[in-house]
Amino acid sequence: MSAIGAKPAAGAAVDTTAMVVGIIILLLVIGATYYLFGSGLAFMALIGIIIGGVLIGFGVHFVPVGGAPAAMGQAPGIATGVAMLAAGAGLAGLFGGAWAAEMGVVVATITGAIGGGLMMAITCMFVNFIYVFGMGIPSASGKVTKDPITGDTQPEFKSQGTEGHGLPFVSYVGGVIGGLFGGAGGTLIYLVLLDLYEEELPAMMNALPAQIVPIAVALAGMFAIGMFLVNAVLAAYNITGTIEGPHDPKFKRFPRAVVASAVASAICGIVAIMIVAV
Amino acid sequence: MESIVFGIGITALAGALATVAGAAENTESDIGSQGDPNSQVQLAPQMGYIHRIFNKAVAGEPPAYGLWIALGAGIAWAFMAMQINPILAIVLGSGIAVFVQGVYATTAYLGRTASLAKFGQPVYVDILKSMTTVTMAHAFVAIFATVTLCHLINAALGHPFPLPLLGIVWGIALGAAGSATGNPFYGKERQYQNQKFGAGVPIAASGNIVRYAEAGERNSLDNGWFSAKLGGPASGVCFGLIVFLELWRTVLFEEIGAGWGAIIIGIIIILVFTVIDRYIEVWARKNYGPYTKPAEEASS
Repeated sequence: MSAIGAKPAAGAAVDTTAMVVGIIILLLVIGATYYLFGSGLAFMALIGIIIGGVLIGFGVHFVPVGGAPAAMGQAPGIATGVAMLAAGAGLAGLFGGAWAAEMGVVVATITGAIGGGLMMAITCMFVNFIYVFGMGIPSASGKVTKDPITGDTQPEFKSQGTEGHGLPFVSYVGGVIGGLFGGAGGTLIYLVLLDLYEEELPAMMNALPAQIVPIAVALAGMFAIGMFLVNAVLAAYNITGTIEGPHDPKFKRFPRAVVASAVASAICGIVAIMIVAV
Repeated sequence: MESIVFGIGITALAGALATVAGAAENTESDIGSQGDPNSQVQLAPQMGYIHRIFNKAVAGEPPAYGLWIALGAGIAWAFMAMQINPILAIVLGSGIAVFVQGVYATTAYLGRTASLAKFGQPVYVDILKSMTTVTMAHAFVAIFATVTLCHLINAALGHPFPLPLLGIVWGIALGAAGSATGNPFYGKERQYQNQKFGAGVPIAASGNIVRYAEAGERNSLDNGWFSAKLGGPASGVCFGLIVFLELWRTVLFEEIGAGWGAIIIGIIIILVFTVIDRYIEVWARKNYGPYTKPAEEASS
């Protein structure tokens, strides 16, 4: 089929066949891990990685990203790429979460989430600061007539010939929520991999547990960053360009990204597990 | 007590370094037209507007800075492992990373501009010579400050990540904060200075960037001068606050309630910024007013 004959903008439609195939691959990878390594730490690590990946993929959809048009005040959102901004927030969260790793999974994951949310809160506030005080432009959404949270009307604040600009309050909240999910997901992946590596590496490398810590931390950190980028980029493909936040019609596409992130995380995860557990 | 005071001192120093890094990063990217405003610099010749703006977009700012800072941090880390003094090691690492940035900037300008040959856009060798070094100088400041803060976080505050890993984490965060804050100021306010103040650029005006300065043709040094007035410092304060508050809440409050102290303080900080953001939004709506009459009220 030529490009002209193709369905216009696959958009929000959920391709059931692709979803079923994705879920089957996911179950196969989970089954293979269970078959190879049993229900021990490696299996739990895979489950943690899948949950973390899904959190990241889902969270990216909340982040209001306007891309190049936002840099000219032609569209609402933050003037940068989806994957990049989500990565910036999520990795700032991972930084905090990794620092709190010895406090336990729950505290560390929440610390990571707050780190991501904090980064996004400050960044989103500065976006509005620049728009309002640097460029004299108020925030306006191009996708809804009223802000779903504050009820502020939007269309009359859109300047002529643009789709809107700045970050309406709902987009700000979306950005913070996206940071929270991203930070939590990245940290969770790091924590489960760190546990696994600290358990398996001493025997594998014939060294004391204390000697293995720097290698385990570095390996888990690298895999966490890598998987973060995989999931953020996948979600960015799903969004195709720009999104205003949770009120944007594109947000409804998230089920596809959730399945895709789960599959991608499972496949990346089994590789990360096999380097120590085989 | 002494360790807390030491921790706060390091936190403040890291925050100050991050502020410098953010300001330098944004000014560097604006001189090089990296980040999203690059689309207009690339588009202008295609619409018939030949210009002398430097155009060195290698990648988006976050991955580009992730690369350069991880590179600087990695080389510095290797030098430190060879028992070289940390300050010298960081300077050497940043210097080598800056040369990589310079190579990328040169090839990006030549490649991107040469691709516009069919639209009549020349490759200006004088622009290449005078702008590349300026972006390299700014990049050095950004890379050196960020690698230093990563070293402080690792060596003085005891973060478990090794230096290169911290470099990639904070490099991507630096690029994300700098591009989010600084891009609109350069993209709208400087490139489209001929459009009305206080309104977005109409989509129909895309590509018609300002190409003339007070005397002669505008080049990217003029743009750097302009960005350094607000976009750069605002990006610096943004990144500085991110680093400072993230470290501050951890250093001071992590011990309280087995980690919950830092979480609660984090939530409070997020709420404070949410209130500030809402205040700014409402302030703008009240003081600037709508562009047109509200549709619903007019009809009722």
